[in-house]
Order: sequence, then structure tokens, then C-alpha cells
Amino acid sequence: MKTIGLISANYQGKGFGELTEERTLASVPYGGRYRLIDFALSNMANSGITTIGIVAPYTSGSLIDHIGIGNPWSLGRKNGGLFLMPGSVYGVQAEGRRFLIRDVLKNIKFFERDDADYVIISSSTDVYNMDYKPLIKQHSESDRAMTVVYKKVPRGEDYEGFFIDISEDGRVEKFNTSAEGWGNYFIDCCIVNREFMLEFLKWFGALEYMDFFDVVKDHLDVFNVGAFEFRGYFGRVRSTSDLLKVNQDMTDYVIRNEVFCNPERTIYTKTQDEAPVFYLPGSDVRNSTISAGCTIEGKVENSTIFRSVTIEEGAVVRNSVIMMHCHIGKDVVLDNVICDKYVTINDGVKIFGSEDKPVVIGKEMTI
Amino acid sequence: MKKKKCIAMLLAGGQGSRLGSLTSSIAKPAVSFGGKYRIIDFSLSNCVNSGIDTVGILVQYKPLILNKYVGTGESWDMAVADGGVHILPPYAGETGGEWYEGTADAIYHNIDFIDLYSPEHVLILSGDHIYKTDYNKMLEVHEANKADLTVSVIEVPIEEASRFGIMTADDEGNIVKFTEKPKEPDSNLASMGIYIFSWPSLRKALLEDHEDHDSEHDFGKNIIPKMLEEKKKLIVYRFEGYWRDVGTVDSYYESQMDLMDDVESINVFTKDARVFSNSNIYPPQYIGPEANIGKALISNGCTVYGDVDHSILGSGVVIGEGSVIKDSIILPNAIIGRNCTINKAIVNEGVVVDDRTEIGDADGKIVVYGTSKLSV
Repeated sequence: MKTIGLISANYQGKGFGELTEERTLASVPYGGRYRLIDFALSNMANSGITTIGIVAPYTSGSLIDHIGIGNPWSLGRKNGGLFLMPGSVYGVQAEGRRFLIRDVLKNIKFFERDDADYVIISSSTDVYNMDYKPLIKQHSESDRAMTVVYKKVPRGEDYEGFFIDISEDGRVEKFNTSAEGWGNYFIDCCIVNREFMLEFLKWFGALEYMDFFDVVKDHLDVFNVGAFEFRGYFGRVRSTSDLLKVNQDMTDYVIRNEVFCNPERTIYTKTQDEAPVFYLPGSDVRNSTISAGCTIEGKVENSTIFRSVTIEEGAVVRNSVIMMHCHIGKDVVLDNVICDKYVTINDGVKIFGSEDKPVVIGKEMTI
Repeated sequence: MKKKKCIAMLLAGGQGSRLGSLTSSIAKPAVSFGGKYRIIDFSLSNCVNSGIDTVGILVQYKPLILNKYVGTGESWDMAVADGGVHILPPYAGETGGEWYEGTADAIYHNIDFIDLYSPEHVLILSGDHIYKTDYNKMLEVHEANKADLTVSVIEVPIEEASRFGIMTADDEGNIVKFTEKPKEPDSNLASMGIYIFSWPSLRKALLEDHEDHDSEHDFGKNIIPKMLEEKKKLIVYRFEGYWRDVGTVDSYYESQMDLMDDVESINVFTKDARVFSNSNIYPPQYIGPEANIGKALISNGCTVYGDVDHSILGSGVVIGEGSVIKDSIILPNAIIGRNCTINKAIVNEGVVVDDRTEIGDADGKIVVYGTSKLSV
């Protein structure tokens, strides 16, 4: 039962402002030392998948820089390994759609050349730690063409994406928008028979401008699609306010242990090998995630501080995300702020955002 | 094989018995240092920062963690096509096998290895020194003097000189006398155990030393005195800067505290001449809502609910609620329970400390606590 992986990174999100101006959503920094794509990659690597293709957009400089030849995920291999595949230009405008048929079609050799039974297809921008082995088992024991992964979610407002209706015998009957139905949220991840995928591309190649799941949704009477429930933590990242929230989720004891401290399923990332964090007298840090290489003299609360950040004395950083190499000057106050990499906040500057609308400071800005 | 100008041989086989339980299951160079480092990182980083990309690491005592840690050398940019790191354990030949009997004997048994690269010079290093340097400066002095051997020396207070191997040099830096732990020292230049030999001279000396059955096969006791006797060109290189031999619990403790108390002298935060390490992937550290952090060095993967003052926490350490850690070093993956008091102590790797444990010595002596449970 050989399974290979395909990760789609050829899409953008709306409302990320300057964070996604020069980088794909998949390479947005998260959680102090990670990029969003680390989760999709690590989930696959930890489930024994050693051949992984990533469909990358043309703005993939930061993504390629981060992933390299895939060594942190043990993908620098002779047999299989990492395949970075160019996506179509169309992808970067496609908000909400994540699996363009033309992206798959363009890289059809990835499917043709391998002899795997199954392909796990995943988006690249949500935060969760999942073992795919039970999914592979359930799917292989069924006679279905594909099995989609869902998470039961409480009712909320305006949820982008699909909710699924499942019949008593476990077959997916309908894909709903949040207006049509609620409950079983499709988390943009599925396992599909490789042979079926190749057939599908033959049948629907002419609809290459469409999304794979838009086609699947309209053919549920023909395609036998199963469902698999994921019961773990699922951090959905569709906006800057989501990004702030999933960063703060990391300070939750249960979530931190499940997602980040599971020795069986490490979330891998590119290592930078920074020095330990240097706390100086006067620092006051509460309920926060701090990464290596930082020097902290100020006050930090409910925040995520990335690598090599300096927070000077008298500064207060609250409910914020400060990405790598930022410099926060003396007596600065930041509340609900997201600073991209290499931002300098000069002494005494005070910036206040809100939980729903954090202030985003673009890369390399000085304020 | 490409010919190399200079390769390094790093002596990493000793037990380091003066470190007590810190080395009960691990070779001294692999002992945790400064939170996320291991002692050998400093020497290996010095090599790569000096452009030396070929290093033989001589192992013997409990090398498992050391071997695993060094791996392919990739962490120090030494996974290179021509050269790189080579772990060199004792081995057997047609006539049986032998342990390394001394520092010189360890190199003698690896003459074939050095010949592979036919270097002009061989740098001999110890795996238990904490310092940052560019070996090229020493190599320049060695080459300019066309020396057979250059010994790196550091000035020590004359009243402490009797604890060291002391080099007496003339005005040009030529070594005229070498005395191990002299009762009445006539010089304050202590040998640091760092040598650059011209390879032909060292090769000859090793072959002769091997035939000498009275020899202890030690650089300090045998090789250097004999070369002096033979009137070879031996010179000193005066090292200036921070250098510590972490052979004792006190020096091991103090030099780690220097990483935060004496950043000017030994700076692991700077981007030039970085100290590299093979760090496992840990999540960033989490500092809890009630934690109080004074001056501290805290590594990735730590979870801190208690108070930490003037202390160093290694990777993956947990400090429970209500615990107070002061003037202490908690080695990687140790779990400190709730309401513990730890004062001027070193807690071994992976040790689980029960709730309400008090560790510390009334007289202020450094306590080493627990038996390491190492994970790779």
C-alpha cells in the first residue's frame, strides 16, 4: 500500500495584506519558528510518506528557500524524495480555490511515474498534527475512489470552504457551503487512488480552469467518496485575525503538547541554529512563546516572538506576533500587532490593533 | 583525495573522570553546555570558521552520543565531498586490536588517515575546551617560523603556574624548556594542549615514539620533550582571549555562566564566528503566566511555569509551577516538578525531579544531581 503526497501551495488568501505580498501563504511564518507548510509536510513525513510533490506558485522564492531539498523532513533521498513542481500563474489569483486541475495536469508525470496505490492531497496553510496512517488504512479497506478528511466544528460566521453530508454507510453525499449546511468541515485534505486520479484527469482535463473539489462536488453520485474524521486540534488560517489566534493557541498547554511536543510526530522545520534566548534583568514574560536567538529586556504577554528578535527595556508587547529579526525599541507599546520580518519599531512608538483587526507592519519597515 | 594544507585531529576519547556523574554515560566532549550546545561544538565551530573542513575525531570512551551528535558533520557545514568529519575509533588489524594508550598513540594509529589527505600541517585539538579563535593566525605564525611544532600558550598568573604545563620561551618565541607542573615556574606561559605540527615532523616523531616502550605515548610527557631534546624548531603562539578547559565541575559551571555574565569575552550570540550545534527540532519555549524570569539563558523546547534566576535551561527542560531555580544549570530534557528549590546545582540530562525536592549545598558547593537519562 504505497502512498505518495501532493501538497498544493499555489493559492493565496485574501486579507493577509503585506504578509503575502512577496510570499505565498504557505510560507507565512507561524509559531515562532515555523512556516505554515511545515504542518502538511511533517504530517506526511511522519506518516511514512517519502515521495512528496509540492505545487508551488511563481512567487515561491521564500517557499523554496525554506524547504530546500527537504532535508528537515528526511526528503533528501535517492528513492522518491521532494518534487517542487511549478504551478500555473492562474493559481496566485485563485482565492479560496486550492487544487486547480491545471496545476495537477501540468505535473501529471508525478502521478504517472510512480507506482503508488494512493495519493494524499493536502493544502498547505492550516495548523494541525495528524497521523495519516489510520486514514490510509480506512481508505484501503474501503472500495472507494477517495476519502476526504473532515473536522467537526461548532457553528460560526461566514466559514469559507465546504461542509460535507455523510450517509449512514459513510459515503459523502453533498458538499455544502457554510450557508447551506454546518458541522463536518472539510479540511482540504483527502486520500485518492492514484489510478482514479489519472482517469479523472483524462475525463476532466478540458475543465482545467476548475478546482478539483468543485468537480468532485458535482459528481458525488458517480464518484464513491468516503469520509474520515480528524479529532485533533485544527487551526484554520484564513485571515490575519486567524493567524493571531492560532499563534496564541500555541500557549495552550493541551494544544502545545498535542501539536508541537509529540515525540512520535515532530513538526519539522528549517533549523537556523540560534543561541538560547537571553533574558536580562527587567524582562517580564508571561504566557508567551519565545524562540531562540532573542534578547529580551522588556515585557511580553500573550505573544509569539520569532527568532532573533530584540525587545528593549521598557517595551511592552501584548497579544502580538513579532516575526524574525525585528527590533522593538525602548518603551514601545504593541498591542494586537503583527510585525513581519526585519521590522524596526523606534523608541517610544505605540501601536494598537484589535483582536479582529490586528495591525500588520510590512517586512523591513521602520516605524 | 585532494591534498589539504591543514587538517585537524580532535582528541575526544578521554573519560573526563573529574566531571563525575556528568560523564557517567557520555564522553566529555559530548556533555551538554550552555543550554543547547555540547562542549565539542566550540572546537568544531572554530575549525569551520577557520576554513578547516577536514577533522578526525578520536573516540574511545562511551562514544554513542558523541557519534550520533556529530553525525555527518552537516551541522558544522562539514558534510563536504573532499574531507569532512571522520569518527576514528580504535580498530583491529591482522595482529589484533589495541585501545588508544595515550594522546600520541591515538594519532599514531591514524597515520593512514592523515596520509590520505597528505596535509602540510596537522592541528591537534582537545574536545573539551571552550574558546573562540581563528586557527589561521596560529598557522601563520607556525609557517612564518618554519616550525616543526607550534604550541598555543596562554598567560596565567605566575602563582598558579605550577598547575599547568609551562613553556619557557626566548625572545623570539622559541621554546627552550617545557616543564609539567613546575614547583618553581620560571615562565607564566601555560600550554593549552593545542598544537600545530608540520606533518612530516609529527609523523616521524610518532613512529619513533611507538617503538619506545618506556613512553606513555603522550604529547606533553613524551613527544614534546623528545623534540626539544632533538633541537627541533618549537615555538609558542601566544593566545589572547577567552579560553577555558572544562575539566572540573567548577570550571564547567563557571564557563557556562560566563555565556551570560561575560558576553564580551565569550559571545555565542554574535553572527560572526558563530558557534554551531546539531540542534534537535524543538518548538519555541513557552513561558507560563506565573513565571518570573530574571537573568537567564533558556533554550528551545522549554516549558517554564516557575521562577528562573541567573540560570541556564537546556533544550526541552520543564520547570513546574512554584519551583525556584537559582544560579543553576538544568541540562536538556530534565523535568523539574512543582515547588522545587534548586540552588547552585547542575541537574543531569533527562533527570526527573519530584515535586517539592530541594537541591543545593549549604556551603555553596556546586551540586551535580541525578543520573543522566540520555535520549538521541
